[in-house]
Formats: sequence, structure tokens, C-alpha cells
Amino acid sequence: MSEQTAEEMEREEIEMLLPWYATGRLDRVDMAKVESYLDRHPQLRSQLDLVRAEQEQTVASNEALGAPSAGAIDRLMASLPAARPGRWRAGTRLFAAVADFFATPTAGAVRWAAVAAAALVAVQAAAIATLLVSDRGGTYQTASGQQTGDGVSALIIFADDATAEAISRLLAEFDANIVDGPKPGGLYKIRLRMEDRSQAAQVALRRRLAERRDVVRAVLSGRD
Amino acid sequence: MSKDDDAELLRRTAVGDETALRGLFARHQTRVFRFVLRRLAGNAAVAEEVTNEVFLEVWRNAGKFAGASAVATWILSIAHHRAVSRLRKRREESWDEDAAAALQDAGDNPEVAVQKADKGAILRRCLDKLSAEHKAIVDLVYYHELSISEASEVLQIPENTVKTRMFYARKRLSDLLKAAGVDRGWP
Repeated sequence: MSEQTAEEMEREEIEMLLPWYATGRLDRVDMAKVESYLDRHPQLRSQLDLVRAEQEQTVASNEALGAPSAGAIDRLMASLPAARPGRWRAGTRLFAAVADFFATPTAGAVRWAAVAAAALVAVQAAAIATLLVSDRGGTYQTASGQQTGDGVSALIIFADDATAEAISRLLAEFDANIVDGPKPGGLYKIRLRMEDRSQAAQVALRRRLAERRDVVRAVLSGRD
Repeated sequence: MSKDDDAELLRRTAVGDETALRGLFARHQTRVFRFVLRRLAGNAAVAEEVTNEVFLEVWRNAGKFAGASAVATWILSIAHHRAVSRLRKRREESWDEDAAAALQDAGDNPEVAVQKADKGAILRRCLDKLSAEHKAIVDLVYYHELSISEASEVLQIPENTVKTRMFYARKRLSDLLKAAGVDRGWP
């Protein structure tokens, strides 16, 4: 094996790892291998720009696909009895789960956590509803429910543990209003004011929103 | 999205808790739907049907989940399996929408394409023209942000094959971009 071939092989091995290096999903050994190679061959860093562009457009393509229709969860739940062997039918609804919790207190912390989580979600929904009601009085909404002005719509799922205060702060930071929701799957429709309404600007804005993982679980493009 | 939350929801699903299944569905339905939709060349109705099948399988087999991987990876591997089965069935019925989509897409020459769209749009069009196999690995790595081992589990191929498949998908993408008038200087 010539020295040249060994060098080419090393470069190819590093090139193969770059997509995972860019997404931060390499293990420590491979991460160190890539970083060491990039330190020695900085010209390869330009390839990272290609990788990032590929990722950005792959995300945009996927986000443009939308989401399942609103009734999907109902169709799934309706098909369950036929799909499940008969012995599993206990604790199927929240009230049943709560009753079960009180009937079997020895089950411990896990059940407390489940009940607390359900309560949190309910509190969050109520809090968001307050934001929604107050926003409906704003200047953005027409009588038909369509939005006007220099903005775009997006669909958002807030993190389960996001407080109303944190959501409110996020909306202020992004100059956004909640205009509808919750929809199936915990989706809310928000309206974001932005002057540059190009596709690229919208994608960038949604990505910035999605990066706020303390408050946001997912962001989808909305239909204007 | 916490992996611990997913594990807890799956544990509850395994003992028949429909609320927990709803939770898993709410968390993962969009990712699964999009993954399946891309495999099925944009047929949303069928993708939704397959997404439901995936979660029915989650419901049936939640108790069999060994915990060796993340729940999200396990669900995506079911989605991959279901999408492949559906594609196989479709091919047996002599209906190949990938080919049809490729034919429909062949209209513009490179100059027109460059005029019509910016670089990002051209890149998206070229990503869409990748083969089903290449598209799947690109989506899993870039959109679903899976590690090499997780992609290996979803696609049921060795880790080295994951790496080479992604590498050749990127090379193919460069070829398609070049044909569309964009030379990005690699490979």
C-alpha cells in the first residue's frame, strides 16, 4: 500500500464521518478522529459547509411534508380493540389510571409522576388558552379567522414542562401570537411577524424556534 | 423530547394504557409520517395508513421492546419495515411511483432550473431525485439525526454499510447538482 493510498483512505474515512460530525452524533472516538484530521487538514472544513447545506435542505424538504391529518389519532384508537389480545383492557383512560393509582398506592413514584405530568399538561393547556383568548383581541385577526399583516403562520408543539410564563416570553421574543389550538397532538397555530417572508427566512425562523428546546418540542410550517 | 419519557410511555403502553399510546403517537407521529411519506414517493393517504399500522405494531409489541436502543429508533425501524413491505407490494402490482415522479420531474434543462430556483431549491430538488435507498439514509441522518448505530438498527444493515451508503448518497447528490448546473467542487 503506497503512502498516497493510505492518505486517500484516511481522507475518505473522515469524509464518510462528516455528516455525523455535523449533526453531533459521532461517538467520542470518531469525533476526536475527525477533529484531529480537520486540525491537520483545515481545507476539509469547507466540506462541512456542504454537509450543513444538505442538512438544512433535507430538514426543509421534510418539514414541507406537513403532518398526518387531524383525525389520525382517532382512527388509530378506534382500531385498537381489534388489534390487542383481549387481556389488556385495564387503565385505558386517564380517570381509570387515576383511580388505579389510588387503588394501588404501593406502585409508588412512577404513578405520582404520571398523575403530576397529566396535571401539568392540563395546567399548561389552560394557561395557553389564556394567551390565546387575549391574542384574539389583537390586531392580527380578521373576522373570518384569517390573519393579515406582514407575518407567517407556523404550527408548534410546546415542551410538556414549558410554563405559561416561558411560552409568553418566547412569543414576545419572536413577536408571535397564538391564534388557534390546541389541535390534535397538542399543536398550536402561531402567527409570527416578519418582514422578509421568503422561504429561506421562514425556514431559518422555524429552526431558531425549534432550537428553543426548553419551551418548544416541535415546529411545523403553517398554511397562510 | 426525553428518552426517559418515551421509555415510560412505552412501558405503560405495554400494560394496555391507551393514554400512553396516545402520548407516543403525539410525540412521534409526524416523524414517522414524514419518514414513511418520503419512502412512498409522496402518497399522503397511504403514508397515513402505514403510520397507523406502525403504531398498532407498537401497541401489540410494546412488551417485546428490549430497551437496547432508544424508543424513537425502535419505532422508526418498524416504520422502515412497514414502508419497505408496502413498496414491495406496490412493485408486485407493477406500480412504481418513484419512476413516475422521476419522469414527471425531467422537464427542465439545467439552465432553466437555475433561473427558476435558488441554490437551496435546486438542492432540495436533487435530494428528492435520490434513489429510495439514498433518500432514506439522508433523511435518517440529517432530519432524524440518528447516529451510525441507530441508522444501522433502523435499516437493518451493518454500520460500515451505513457510512458507505451515506457517502455514495452524497456523491450522487453532487452528480445530480452538477447536471443541474451547480458544481460544488466535491468529490
